[in-house]
Amino acid sequence: MSANQLTDEEIMAQVAADDLDVLRILFDRHHVHVYNFLYKMSGDSMLSEDLTQDVFYKVIKYRTSYNNGSFISWLFTIARNSLNSHFTRKKVMHSDLETVKYRLGEEEKEEEYSHLHKALNQLEASDRELVILNRFQGIKYQELAEMMDSTPGAVKTKMSRALKKLKNIYLQTI
Amino acid sequence: MEKRELENRISDYFDGLLSPAEVAAFEKRLSTDNDFRTEVDEFKVLFEAIKQEKKEIPSKQLAKNFEKMLQQEKSNQVKVVALASKDNGRFQYLKIAASIALLIGVFLVGRYSAQRASNHSLMAAQQEVLEYKEATLISLLGNESASKRIQGVQLVEEFDRPDEDIVGALGEKMLSDENTNVRLSAMEALSKFSYSDQVKVFFIQALETEENPSIQVALIEILGQLQEKKAVGPMKKLLEKEDTQPFIKKEINNVLPKII
Amino acid sequence: MKRTITTVLLLLTIGLCKAQTDYSKSLSGVEWVKITSKSNVTVMVHDKNEILIKGTQKARSSEKAKGLRLVGVGGTVNTNVGFNVVQEGNDLIVTNLRKNESAKIYLPKNQKIAVTSTWNGGISIDGFNNEVEATCELNGGMMLNNISGPLTANTLNGQIDVIFDNISQGSPTSLNSTNGAIDVSLPGNTGADISMSSWNGDMYSNFDIKSSSGDNGLRKVSSRKTNGTINGGGVSISLKSTNGNIYLRKN
Repeated sequence: MSANQLTDEEIMAQVAADDLDVLRILFDRHHVHVYNFLYKMSGDSMLSEDLTQDVFYKVIKYRTSYNNGSFISWLFTIARNSLNSHFTRKKVMHSDLETVKYRLGEEEKEEEYSHLHKALNQLEASDRELVILNRFQGIKYQELAEMMDSTPGAVKTKMSRALKKLKNIYLQTI
Repeated sequence: MEKRELENRISDYFDGLLSPAEVAAFEKRLSTDNDFRTEVDEFKVLFEAIKQEKKEIPSKQLAKNFEKMLQQEKSNQVKVVALASKDNGRFQYLKIAASIALLIGVFLVGRYSAQRASNHSLMAAQQEVLEYKEATLISLLGNESASKRIQGVQLVEEFDRPDEDIVGALGEKMLSDENTNVRLSAMEALSKFSYSDQVKVFFIQALETEENPSIQVALIEILGQLQEKKAVGPMKKLLEKEDTQPFIKKEINNVLPKII
Repeated sequence: MKRTITTVLLLLTIGLCKAQTDYSKSLSGVEWVKITSKSNVTVMVHDKNEILIKGTQKARSSEKAKGLRLVGVGGTVNTNVGFNVVQEGNDLIVTNLRKNESAKIYLPKNQKIAVTSTWNGGISIDGFNNEVEATCELNGGMMLNNISGPLTANTLNGQIDVIFDNISQGSPTSLNSTNGAIDVSLPGNTGADISMSSWNGDMYSNFDIKSSSGDNGLRKVSSRKTNGTINGGGVSISLKSTNGNIYLRKN
């Protein structure tokens, strides 16, 4: 069986056993997803590339701590943490006591954002994250619940609210 | 099915996750309830937009950098055993074996560049572990549970010299966390690093804004020990405030002469 | 058609109100139940996945107030028991708006709860095996029985009394009081890293805290700070009082 037919979890298990070459397969399969998640959250393409790089670096560094659960959950947990660390560091450096906000216009960027992207940006970071992970990245409630240390029921409720808000914003501003 | 229940099921309906019975109930509601129908149609528009949303493609540089990093990691691949900070005799043999393995690995991989690479990878590994701990700490500090936020605060004990990001995050907790226990534990964690100017500034700020007497008295005590002149102003203000508890005023009066 | 149905329902509800004045609501999708009250709060356990607030004992509201809703600081009552109950995200926010009447609330035992008494109320909590946060902001003490924690508790002018039937090793437990004693009972075989400090009071324990030499029996530990482990160590348990004694007992 060629490596390409293995599941993410099987390939990651090989990486954890120090066969680093096969990580290329996981990179090929998922780096665009990770990049898109980071981009939709931050609106910054350069930052998103740097953080994507950082995420795969951490996959290698922490390969022995991979616990054979859902690879996607683990990968996106690392992505979320990287994003959080980056913004918390920034916030702390500016001694800003507001809650962390990832907002467009924080930096001077010449980026063109789609209408949907702008609507997404009106949501609270935690809502935005859920919507992107579930609706754009296809991560299921069970996995999201594990990632966020919550229950599928609670995640589902939060998601419904978030989607409703997003829908209203999206349609109002078309 | 209740209306609220149905609303929560809209995305499941479009994802094909409902059972045939649930689909029937859903569609029945659609045909009888106009408001609901409008709602569902609106969601349809949203989901279509999501489906159509262009996937962003990163630059070619990303794949190149990944490849470079992968090569680097492969060449650094020597067995690095995390050196336990609190070890007992048990780890002695492992450490010796690891050192030997390290040396052999270095020898086998090559000379000059390999030597550099392996030293770098040992330090880098330790550095990476610290960075991972830092990310965990900061993530816990934002948790909804006060107990987990305290867990995050206590993680600072794993750092000999926490960087200003960590100190900043702890300072923010001490100043503005809504839970008294979290603020107090942040204060105690920071007091181990009270030699730092950044920490001193946080303590003085806290003295100006903190209202809980247990934390106030701890701040007064430590600022007194530090003989921190800038704390005199806030302390005097507390003396003048009517609602400051008597035992706090007593403590300030004890401490002030030692600073001035 | 709709209006008729609404009217009928309203009449039915009023009728039901006269017969039974409890309030209940499903807890599906609720991660935290956060309760605030000016007066005493008692939170106990029941088997259903819903919150049950016991109805008022007081005589029915006056004629003048008929048809009107009770307005309190912090919202208007939207239940039939003098409470405001609203769901925000995964939190159920429960506010007792009545000034002098205590609250009796039932929840499932694995519910995470946060209870705050803002004025002169005490807090009593019994039987929960998930996270508990309890705060008495002004006057009032708290009594917690048969809980597992993690517990984050704080009082200003009041005592903290806790009996753990076992203690969660998942994340820290911390008890702070400014003017009030702390009295904690733990199972004798609990493994924990204990940190006790009393600024102006004494500390007593019959645990063998591994940083001082020990004999059994409740003995005075120190009058400042003690950090040590019991039964080899484990979860972090911190007991801090400013003006009050600390008692750490084996169950």
